[in-house]
Amino acid sequence: MASQAGKEVKDVYGDYATLTVPPQELRSTLNIFMVYMGVLAVIAAIFAGSGLATMYDLTTTLTVSLIGNALLAIFGALIAYMGGTTRANTYMLLRYPLGRVGAMIGSLVISALPLIMWYAVETWLFGITVNVIYPGHPLTSIAVASAWGGILMMLTAYIGYRAMAILSYITVPFWYALIAIGLFAAVDVAGGFGALWAARPQVIAPLSVGITYVFGLYASGCVIAPDVSRYGVKKWSGSIAWALHVLIFMTFLLFAGAAMTLLTGSPNVVVAIAQLGLGVGALLLAILGQWTTNDNNSWSAALAWINIVGKLKRSQWVAIVGVIGTIIAAVWGGVWGMSLDPFIAFGTFLGYFIPPVGATMVADFYIFSKLVAKRTYVFGPGTKYATINIPGIIAMIAGGVAGWAATVYGVKVPTGVGVADAIIVSFVLYLVLAVGLYKAGLKFEVGEWVERPTGF
Amino acid sequence: MSASPQKVKRFAEVSIAVMLMLGIVTLALAPFTGHYRGFYLSIFLGAIIVVASVVYLPIVRMKKAEDLRGVGVPAIQSLWISTSMGLGYVVTALAPYFNINFSTAVALFVIGWVMLIYGCYALLKISKESKVPLSV
Repeated sequence: MASQAGKEVKDVYGDYATLTVPPQELRSTLNIFMVYMGVLAVIAAIFAGSGLATMYDLTTTLTVSLIGNALLAIFGALIAYMGGTTRANTYMLLRYPLGRVGAMIGSLVISALPLIMWYAVETWLFGITVNVIYPGHPLTSIAVASAWGGILMMLTAYIGYRAMAILSYITVPFWYALIAIGLFAAVDVAGGFGALWAARPQVIAPLSVGITYVFGLYASGCVIAPDVSRYGVKKWSGSIAWALHVLIFMTFLLFAGAAMTLLTGSPNVVVAIAQLGLGVGALLLAILGQWTTNDNNSWSAALAWINIVGKLKRSQWVAIVGVIGTIIAAVWGGVWGMSLDPFIAFGTFLGYFIPPVGATMVADFYIFSKLVAKRTYVFGPGTKYATINIPGIIAMIAGGVAGWAATVYGVKVPTGVGVADAIIVSFVLYLVLAVGLYKAGLKFEVGEWVERPTGF
Repeated sequence: MSASPQKVKRFAEVSIAVMLMLGIVTLALAPFTGHYRGFYLSIFLGAIIVVASVVYLPIVRMKKAEDLRGVGVPAIQSLWISTSMGLGYVVTALAPYFNINFSTAVALFVIGWVMLIYGCYALLKISKESKVPLSV
């Protein structure tokens, strides 16, 4: 049960998917930090570091990582604070800047659809990695490994299968230790820190490319940060936890991935760990990091789908997301042997619209609602929302198109850097439209949606 | 049937103390690993276990037994880190890179399994008794 606007409300969907988190469920700042760390513990973060190593030497890698992560820390902390203040998840928060139906569209774009894609991609990577470690066995073919990997990951989230849950849970702290060990092992084998700092690719890319690359890696994570920060015991718990984990640990992961690639010459970090002789167990643990991330993918996607459809429980949506993701990975990627590039492309395209959603949220919460309209975010049965917030929808679409045009065609609106343009355009456009129409006394929010007793 | 709050608190303290002792043992084994790589591995993982236990043990001790959540949360956090490092010994002790001599490697491997199994048991038991979810 949760108390909403003075009334006791039953949590019919689970995990307060459509309700604010009650006080007895709040958790410490350290707890929130640990949850974010579990999400970040994914081999893809190390692969991203390898990507940087193809563009920069280590000093420049560190520079672009720090700048990119500092921007992520600020952007994410601002959005996390909204969850900490209102105790509402991302999909509920969207009801104000986008309207109730607009929030459904926003939820589809930022979480419901792309997280199924990323669930599939992570599961596929799991299958590939298992195949690299144990080639030649029927159970370790990419298709079969993707299938059992996806099912196991889904089971963890669906029924909280204890053995699996605790396995993925206890993996996380050592996972970070393992990356540190891998880094020092690479330095040790390749001839010390002198070799590490001397290693560099043939051509160094511009700084802006790397900063955009780093920011783009986790921009969507910033937008869904309230899903976790709403549990923080202090309003700022999620913001502090978010900023610290991104600034320190994401920088570390990118640095470690880049260093291992520069020193071993292998763009595949899993192969690099194998070359160093850290053992098969270490390799298995490396891929188990994906487990905790896919848990979160299916969990966040389930929250989004509940807020879109208003039917079925969280656990059922977790199963649906997991089954679809697993089928895509095992059948498309494994059986048919086809690249998941179309899915990655679709996820990436939706990704252009994710930072604009975050920018619109920030503009509405901190500026329009607080300083102009003098309204506070309220949730609970009977609360009235606009059906569509027109400036919010326009800003989201325009920002996404600007980011896409800048990235694909180099169009400068205004900087030519994809994520930056997406955020700037949506942030400014939302404020211009919302404040302008509000001051002019014109109605910019259409329709009315009254929150049901279930919170939907 | 639930155990009394005093028993839960006592179990949490003993569990952290067990991890602390095992962590100290792994630190003591570091000079006997026979190679600098094994030495640094033992120092690194052992130090994390000792720090996680030394920091959290007084926090658990200061909590009133009746405050089951107050006892459960720090106990689970401490055991989480220690158990994870135990898993670390299991997967790295015998890895070729570290060149640890066989008897010490086996000792670390066994200690790792003990920490892993006992840690899982303690985590599940404390979580169940204190009603604190594992994902604290």
